[in-house]
Amino acid sequence: MGSHLSRSLLLGFISYTLILTGIVTVRGEFITLALPLIVYLLAGFLFSPDEIKLEATRHLSTERTLPNADVTVTVTLTNRGSHLEEVLIEDILPADLNLRVGFNRHLIRLPRKSSYTFAYTVTGPRGGYGFESVRVKVNDLLAVTSREVQLEAKGQLFIFPLVMRLRHVAIRPRRTRVYAGSIPARAGGTGTEFFGVREYHPGDPPRAINWRASAHEEDVLYANEFQHERVADVGIILDGRLRTNEFARHHSLFEYSVQAAAALGDALLTQGNRVGLLVYAAFLRWTIPGYGKIQREKILYSLAHARPGGSEVFAGLEHLPTRLFPPESQIILVSPLHEDDLTPLIRLRAQGYQVLVISPNPVKFELSYLSKTRNMELAGRVIHMERTLLLQKVRRAGVQILDWDVAQPFDQVVQRMLSRPPGWLRAIGR
Amino acid sequence: MTIVALIMSIILGTGSLAIGYFQAGQADHARWFIWLSILWILAHWRKYYWVSSVAFLLTLVGAGYGVWNQFTTLWMLLGALGGLLGWDLSDFARRLSYAGPTDDIRGMERRHLERAGIVALLGFGLAWLSDVIHINRLPFEIAVGLVLLAALGMTRLVVGLRRY
Repeated sequence: MGSHLSRSLLLGFISYTLILTGIVTVRGEFITLALPLIVYLLAGFLFSPDEIKLEATRHLSTERTLPNADVTVTVTLTNRGSHLEEVLIEDILPADLNLRVGFNRHLIRLPRKSSYTFAYTVTGPRGGYGFESVRVKVNDLLAVTSREVQLEAKGQLFIFPLVMRLRHVAIRPRRTRVYAGSIPARAGGTGTEFFGVREYHPGDPPRAINWRASAHEEDVLYANEFQHERVADVGIILDGRLRTNEFARHHSLFEYSVQAAAALGDALLTQGNRVGLLVYAAFLRWTIPGYGKIQREKILYSLAHARPGGSEVFAGLEHLPTRLFPPESQIILVSPLHEDDLTPLIRLRAQGYQVLVISPNPVKFELSYLSKTRNMELAGRVIHMERTLLLQKVRRAGVQILDWDVAQPFDQVVQRMLSRPPGWLRAIGR
Repeated sequence: MTIVALIMSIILGTGSLAIGYFQAGQADHARWFIWLSILWILAHWRKYYWVSSVAFLLTLVGAGYGVWNQFTTLWMLLGALGGLLGWDLSDFARRLSYAGPTDDIRGMERRHLERAGIVALLGFGLAWLSDVIHINRLPFEIAVGLVLLAALGMTRLVVGLRRY
């Protein structure tokens, strides 16, 4: 609905000029010329709607969907005022949503006490979208007069990231919570994983007796003890810094990171853990830890709104607010990693957190779309060596790393690498 | 349908002016109106809708100049009327371009053309009558009354314009 010079103003101005010219020059022919214009103008005024009373309602076929899935938006406009001869309706689409089928703009005639319904289909990338209003322009039958109104018709659409189902994610935080779960708690009790041998107490099930150990002594019976399995506190940190996620030619690893965070959050909540999410980008977006399906929704909601961003303050991981995470809990950092991130990771370990880094591999990602020249290959090898060195240093600090080549599906990589705790962690009994 | 009516209106407006000017022996000026019609149609085709307002003003200036120089009033009147219709239909075509393919474009076109036609006929009839009927002796009281009526009408018009 582009703005243009008011038609009534133009016609009025010309009519006045002609009439005045006729009066000044005492030439009736000028007034004769003005007469069709005046008739036109008056007809417009005469038939302009007395009362514009419109209402708009909106219905979305779904309010939660996945990226690039079709969503049908249905808008109904009801006229509770005068008969409207020419109504131009434009439903304002949120930025980034694409129109797939149908139209969000219509030119109609709307008689008194009647309704008009139109529907169209949109798709879009991950995000949260708010539909606010419908823009309506009402013209009289000659469009001499026009009035524009914005009718409130709110609607919300959340396009959540695709959640891959992960079978099991093995984590070993130092401290667990009191509720039963699936994380070994480093304490003897009921469970499935062998913990040790102790003296048999009355009440222990007979099948717990370790006959081999008991055979060594005459009067004492020994029983096997298993590790308690409990739920744990897990903090997922999604790195949304531009410096680690954005690459040449507008390529970004951020969507992969979001996908990984969503899959991990879902899997850990399914295991019964208390999970929180921190999006570390231009600003911090913190989802308070919680359990269950409601927390899953909250995390997905936060991930739907997550955007990569850069800021001076959060350029490095030094300003990571570790107080948000319970002491000695599990932290999962989803980040392509930057060489400056080594020190903050070591500090996290020093504070007693069990740290797992899911690192989408930026070197392989960038090489996958760059031209394969000799120089590029050489540069790739150098950067790959630098990254390998960085990962080695991080591993030496006791941080578990999953180096993820994003060409491979995340669920397969997790199944291969994270379904059991790493050997070195099991070897030292942690 | 609108496009055909638009082209016909432009031809009516500029053609009438051209004939009027040609009859008055101003063939050069008459040719300008032909060029104006071509320019107007081309501009509409290229979606330069603002050109129609300029072209409408030019036809009125042309008609006013013709009236001032006592060219045939009928041709000048038809020129102004054609310009008005061309301007109206050009804007209507612009508004129609916002309509979706499922909208009742045919019905809207038909109704608009009917109304614009009636209004144009009414305006032309009134103007033609005012041109044909001459009252040679107008008493001063009636003249004053007409001036007052005109002033009242203008005031109402200004009030109406301020509302939009």
